Amino acid sequence: MEKIKIMLVDDEERFLSTTKKLLIKKGYETLTATSGAEALETLKQKNIHVVILDVKMPGMDGIETLKEIKRQFPLVEVIMLTGHATVESAIDGLKSGATDYLMKPTGIEELLEKVEEAFEKRLRLEEKIRLAQTRKFMKSPREILRES
Amino acid sequence: MKPKPYGALKKTILTCMILVPFIPFILVLGIGYYNFTASLEGATISTMKRIVEDHRQMIESFLNERSGDLKYILDSYPFDVLRHTENLQRVFENLRKVSQAFVDLGIFNADGLHVAYVGPFQLTGRSYGQSPWFQEVIKKGYYISDVFLGYRQIPHFIIAVAKEDSDQRWVIRATIDTHRFNELVKSVRIGKTGEAYLLDADGTFQTERRSGGTLMQKDAERYRYGTSHEGIKTFIDNDVQGQTYLYATTWLKDKSWLLVVRQEKSDAFKSLQNATYVIVMISVLGGAGIVAVAFFLTGRIIRRMERMDAEKDQLGQQLIRASRLAEIGEMAAGFAHEINNPLQIIKNEYTLIDMILAELKEKGQLRETEDVTELQDSLDQIHKQVERCATITQAILKFGRKSESVPQDLDLPAFIPEVTEMVAKKASVHGIAIKQNISQRLNLVHVDPGQLQQVLLNLYNNAIDAIIERHGSAGGELSIEADAISNAHVEIRVTDNGSGIRSENLKKIFTPFFTTKPVGKGTGLGLAVCYGIIAKMGGEMTVDSQENVGTTFSIRIPAAV
Repeated sequence: MEKIKIMLVDDEERFLSTTKKLLIKKGYETLTATSGAEALETLKQKNIHVVILDVKMPGMDGIETLKEIKRQFPLVEVIMLTGHATVESAIDGLKSGATDYLMKPTGIEELLEKVEEAFEKRLRLEEKIRLAQTRKFMKSPREILRES
Repeated sequence: MKPKPYGALKKTILTCMILVPFIPFILVLGIGYYNFTASLEGATISTMKRIVEDHRQMIESFLNERSGDLKYILDSYPFDVLRHTENLQRVFENLRKVSQAFVDLGIFNADGLHVAYVGPFQLTGRSYGQSPWFQEVIKKGYYISDVFLGYRQIPHFIIAVAKEDSDQRWVIRATIDTHRFNELVKSVRIGKTGEAYLLDADGTFQTERRSGGTLMQKDAERYRYGTSHEGIKTFIDNDVQGQTYLYATTWLKDKSWLLVVRQEKSDAFKSLQNATYVIVMISVLGGAGIVAVAFFLTGRIIRRMERMDAEKDQLGQQLIRASRLAEIGEMAAGFAHEINNPLQIIKNEYTLIDMILAELKEKGQLRETEDVTELQDSLDQIHKQVERCATITQAILKFGRKSESVPQDLDLPAFIPEVTEMVAKKASVHGIAIKQNISQRLNLVHVDPGQLQQVLLNLYNNAIDAIIERHGSAGGELSIEADAISNAHVEIRVTDNGSGIRSENLKKIFTPFFTTKPVGKGTGLGLAVCYGIIAKMGGEMTVDSQENVGTTFSIRIPAAV
C-alpha cells in the first residue's frame, strides 16, 4: 500500500514542527508549509495525498488556499483545521471542497483518523477514475491515442 | 428604578384640572346667580308695587264711595228735610245699609251750627264755624280729615261734603268707623310679615300697624319716607329695631296720607334665599366633584407615566443586556479562538513528550524510578488541564457563535415531557420528585426544538444542582408548569426547592461567565446562552428566587401565528 503523504499548512512554526515529528513517528510522510502560497508551491512539486489546512492564516487565508488547491489539484484531499467552532466557516470549507474539518485543539489520534478517511476517499476516487478511463479505452482506443 | 420627580408635574396637572373647569363653573354660577337674583328681586319689588297700587286704589275708592254716599244724600234731600233729626235718622239707617263704616251723621248750616245729628254722641247745637275742617269744606266743597281725637277723645276721622243751594249753603258730615277703616287698610297679606298702614303728613299712624304702632302715635321711621312724591317709591332699609324691610310707599288723598306696605326683607326674598342655598350647594358639590375628578385623573395619569417609565427602564436594561451579551459573545469568541491555537501546540507537545517517554521506556533507556512516575503524573495533569481549557473555549465559542436556528411548530404538551424524561433518571437517583403540570390546551409555538431543549435541560440541570446542594439525596422537588398567559404567549415555569439564589446574585444571573459553581464545574455561560436563545425567539426569561426556599425560572415565548 502506498504511504500516505501529508502536508501541514499553518502559520505557527512550532505547531508544524512538533506535529510533523509526531506524524513521522506515527509513520507518515509529512511536509509542512507556513502559508497558502508555499503550500501551493510544494503541491506542484510533490505528490501529496492529504493537506491539513488551518482556516485562519495571515496573507492568503485557509478558504482561499483551499479553493486554489481544489482548482489546481482536484484530487488532493483537504482537511480544514479551525480554532473557531463556527458552523459557518465549516460549511464554507465543506462547500469549497474540503473533505472534513477538525477543531483545535485536536489530538493526534483524531487527526490521523480523519487523514485515513480522507486517504481512503482519495483511493476510491482514483479507483473510479482508473475504471472510467479503462472503459473509455475499451470503447474507443483511438481517442486514448489522440489524448496521449 | 429610581423614583421620578413627578411632584411638580402632578401639581401642575392638578392645578390645571381644577382651575380650568372651576373658572367657567364659578363664572356661570356667578352670572346665573346675579341674573337670577336681580330678576327675582325685580319681580318681588314689582309685586310689592302692584300690591301698593291695588291697595291705594282700594282705599281711595272706599273714601270716594263714602263721600259719594254723602253727596247722594245732599242731592236727594233738601236742607229743610234733613234738619229734622227724625228724617236724618231714617236717612242714616238707609246709609248704614250701604256701609257699616258710618258711625254718625250730622247736618250743619252755613254758620257751622250742628243743626241735626244722628249717632252715639250728643252733638246737636254745637258750633263748628271756626273749626278748620268746616272752613276747608266750605272752601273746597268736601273734606276728609286726618285721624283725630276731637270732643269725643277717641280716634276718628270725618268726611264732610258741602252743598250750595240757591238760598243757602249747608254741610253734611259723617264719622267713619276707624276700626273698620283700620281693618280695610291692614287687610293686605303678603308672606308672613307683610303689612300695610297709613301715615299722615307728619308721620302719625292713621291706621294700626300689625308689627307694632298704635293709632295716633308718631311712626319712629317717619323720616325715612321722605317728602311727598309722585307714584310709588320702593326701598330697603332697617327699622328702629334693626330689622331690614322692603318698603313700598305711595301718597294718596291729595298727598296728605302716605300708604306704606312693608315686608321683612328675609321674608320678601325668601325664594331668593332658597335659590342662594341651592346655588351654594351646587357650588360645594360641583367643586368637590371637580376636585375629586381632578385628583382621580391626575393619579391615573401619574401612575400611567410611572408605569411607562418603568417599562422604558426595563426595555433599556434589556437592550443594554442584549448588546452587552452580543459584545461579550464576540469578544469571547475571538478570545477563545486565540487561546485554541496555543492549546493545540501544548497538546501536541504533550503528545510528543508522552510518545518519547514511552519510546524511552520501551528501549529500556528510562528506568521506572519515582521521578519518572512523578513526571508521568505531571504530564497527565498537563493533558487534563488542556482538556479543561478546551472545554471552556468550546463553551465560549458555542455561546459566541451565531448559530442558525431552524424553527418549527412545536406542541409543548408533547415536547416538554420528552425533555423532562431526559433528566428523570438523574433526578430519581438524587431523590427528586418531578411534578409536571402542563396545560393541554396550549397554542403551538414556532421555535427551534433543539434550542428549546437546550434551554430546558440547562434549567433542569441547574435546578437539580441547587436541590442537591440543599437537600442532598432526599426531599427534592422539581416542578414544571406550562400554561397560556394570553392568546399570544405561552409561559413555561421551572421551579425547584433548592438552595435558591442570593438577591445580590439575582441581577447577575444571566451575565456571561457569572457562576457560583465550584472552579472547573461551570463556565458561567449556560444561563447567558439560554437568555440569548429565548430573546432571539422573541420571548423573555425571568427569574424569581428566595434563598433556602427555591427558584423559579419563567420563560415566556410567543405562540405560533
